Amino acid sequence: MEFRGLFLPSLLLFSCLTATCYGMVTFSSLHRTLVVTASPTPGQVLKAGEDQITVTWSFNQTFQAGTDSTYKTVELKLCYPPISQVDRAWRKTVDDLKKDKTCQFKIVAKPYSSSDNSCTWTVERDIPSATYFVRAYAYNSDNVEVAYGQTTDSQKATNLFEVQAITGRHVSLDIASVCFSAFSILSLFGFFFMEKRKTRASQQK
Amino acid sequence: MEMEMSQASIDSDQRKFALPVDSEHKATEFRLFSVAAPHMRAFHLSWISFFACFVSTFAAPPLLPIIRDNLNLTATDIGNAGIAAVSGAVFARIAMGTACDLFGPRLASASLILITTPAVYCSAIINSPVSFLLVRFFTGFSIATFVSTQFWMSSMFSANVVGTANGVSGGWGNLGGGATQLIMPLVFSLIRNIGATKFTAWRIAFFIPALFQTLSAYAVFFLGQDMPDGNFSRLQKSGDKHKDNFNKIFRNAITNYRGWILLLTYGYCFGVELTVDNIIAQYFYDRFNVNLHTAGIIAASFGLANIFSRPGGGFLSDIVAKRFGMRGRLWTLWIVQTLGGLFCILLGKVGSLSASISVMIVFSVFVQAACGLTFGVVPFVSRRSLGIISGMTGGGGNVGAVLTQVIFFRGSRYSTETGITLMGVMIICCTLPLFFIYFPQWGGMFCGPSSEGTTEENYYMSEWNSTEKDRGFHQASLKFADNSRSERGKKVDSAPSPSNGILPTYA
Repeated sequence: MEFRGLFLPSLLLFSCLTATCYGMVTFSSLHRTLVVTASPTPGQVLKAGEDQITVTWSFNQTFQAGTDSTYKTVELKLCYPPISQVDRAWRKTVDDLKKDKTCQFKIVAKPYSSSDNSCTWTVERDIPSATYFVRAYAYNSDNVEVAYGQTTDSQKATNLFEVQAITGRHVSLDIASVCFSAFSILSLFGFFFMEKRKTRASQQK
Repeated sequence: MEMEMSQASIDSDQRKFALPVDSEHKATEFRLFSVAAPHMRAFHLSWISFFACFVSTFAAPPLLPIIRDNLNLTATDIGNAGIAAVSGAVFARIAMGTACDLFGPRLASASLILITTPAVYCSAIINSPVSFLLVRFFTGFSIATFVSTQFWMSSMFSANVVGTANGVSGGWGNLGGGATQLIMPLVFSLIRNIGATKFTAWRIAFFIPALFQTLSAYAVFFLGQDMPDGNFSRLQKSGDKHKDNFNKIFRNAITNYRGWILLLTYGYCFGVELTVDNIIAQYFYDRFNVNLHTAGIIAASFGLANIFSRPGGGFLSDIVAKRFGMRGRLWTLWIVQTLGGLFCILLGKVGSLSASISVMIVFSVFVQAACGLTFGVVPFVSRRSLGIISGMTGGGGNVGAVLTQVIFFRGSRYSTETGITLMGVMIICCTLPLFFIYFPQWGGMFCGPSSEGTTEENYYMSEWNSTEKDRGFHQASLKFADNSRSERGKKVDSAPSPSNGILPTYA
């Protein structure tokens, strides 16, 4: 009994510790060891569903060779700079990467190699209208972020591009809602007319 | 006996009803699982149509994560649209009360539902923050059908069950606010699975509440009946019902101070409920970092408590009235709503997720029960201006929601938890004026009935002048006054007033 009484809490404590080891990765702890460039020129407006982005990335050779020995995969993401986050708490930047909402759209994930990486991606149809930059995260074999690189500076203010979202509207949708609306209004007049006629009929009886 | 009956009264007295009725032909029994015309059928039609309107009005909040990206909305746009959604109904409710008094609840509610459905259909084709605000504003008018719901139930059910009927129909309608948090995401994901993109799927999803609303208007018009003895228009033409003068019923309503007090107290039970419907999902999302789906389920559980809490309030009102009459109804309302305020203060203070959810559920039960209890009192304030008094009280609920959101939940003056606590303080303060409601024939919270021996007849007849009485327009009021004698209560009938503020428990 006493052994179990001690064992359970210590097990819990232990699992908590391991959880914080791997669960809590802060963005500020990562080194910017990747060089990322994207094809859009600053301020260019891309149409969702049509235009393409070409992203290239490589290891920054000014860092000591072997720094990237633990890198297993690279994931490219489309991210919101501060200008897109104003008055929108749901895109808030948080240092704890688990809670960070800066980078919500995945472009591609590939096995890591130190140079000559590139990828062409069509801006998907569910990307909202906003200003963006591209960020790359390098992951180790435990799938934990270990390094990053991005197309903008550390203030996230330069070299940004815009996406113009699809409206989501269709002509058929417009027609349907106008027809149904008209149907409701016509029914209303129909109701009044029927009520009048019924009253007159019952009066004549 | 039968020989003495006039031709007109034979016509109405020969009607057979499935439920036991009183002299006004209002049902004296409430059978939830019956759909018998006209009483129980009116009940089911009214709550279903009100439910449909609630689903439409609160269809946007659960889909906001998609809508805000599609329309490029900011938090301010969303806050303003939330306020717009509940402010439209302030005036719509008062207008609705008038329309009920003049045309009857059936035609009034069917019309309001059909007038507002285009706004729901047009939600599918909006493309800017301004149009989002506008569709939410105009869709919000539809929850004024609450007034016709309460008016209809008050015309169909007798004094001893009117609290229950009003409570269940109002509560099950409000249930739509919770149900929509589950329905809309479900419809949205179904449409996505069929193959539409995110930004198109939410638009198509809006056709479901809109169609539901249109159908409910058809059901109300073709299956419903205004009064136990027929529809307003027929009764007015045949002379069974007097067509009232708008100016008179309006003046009569706004000069009755009891209506204003109930407007204020209802602003801080139903108004609080509407406010919470708008903010609670974001509160749990931001403060406890739950995901949007979980936040939606928690938010839904607040609205879904309505399935029993508001009807429970109405039922409780009728139970205490059996023993203590009107004074019992008032005391219970005050106690329940004040407790609701205390739990609201607590909700802002607790810091853990599970404690917050449990406090929120207890809080929702008390707040919604207080709404039901309010409408146990409303039918007795006036007979002649029943519609406008119901409308004023209902409109007060929306005024409360607008004020609360503007004062406590807009901008960054207060954190949401501070806002919730302050809202609780406001509930307690705004419930205090109930002390001043006094009916000369039944008494108030602290005083017993008037010593001058004022009767129910005196009270309800004072709403008519002598020429109107000569022409017999007051007959319905007379019957109502007779049936409302039950509000004297069994224990306090003609008893001297208690000197302190405790419930009279002596035999």
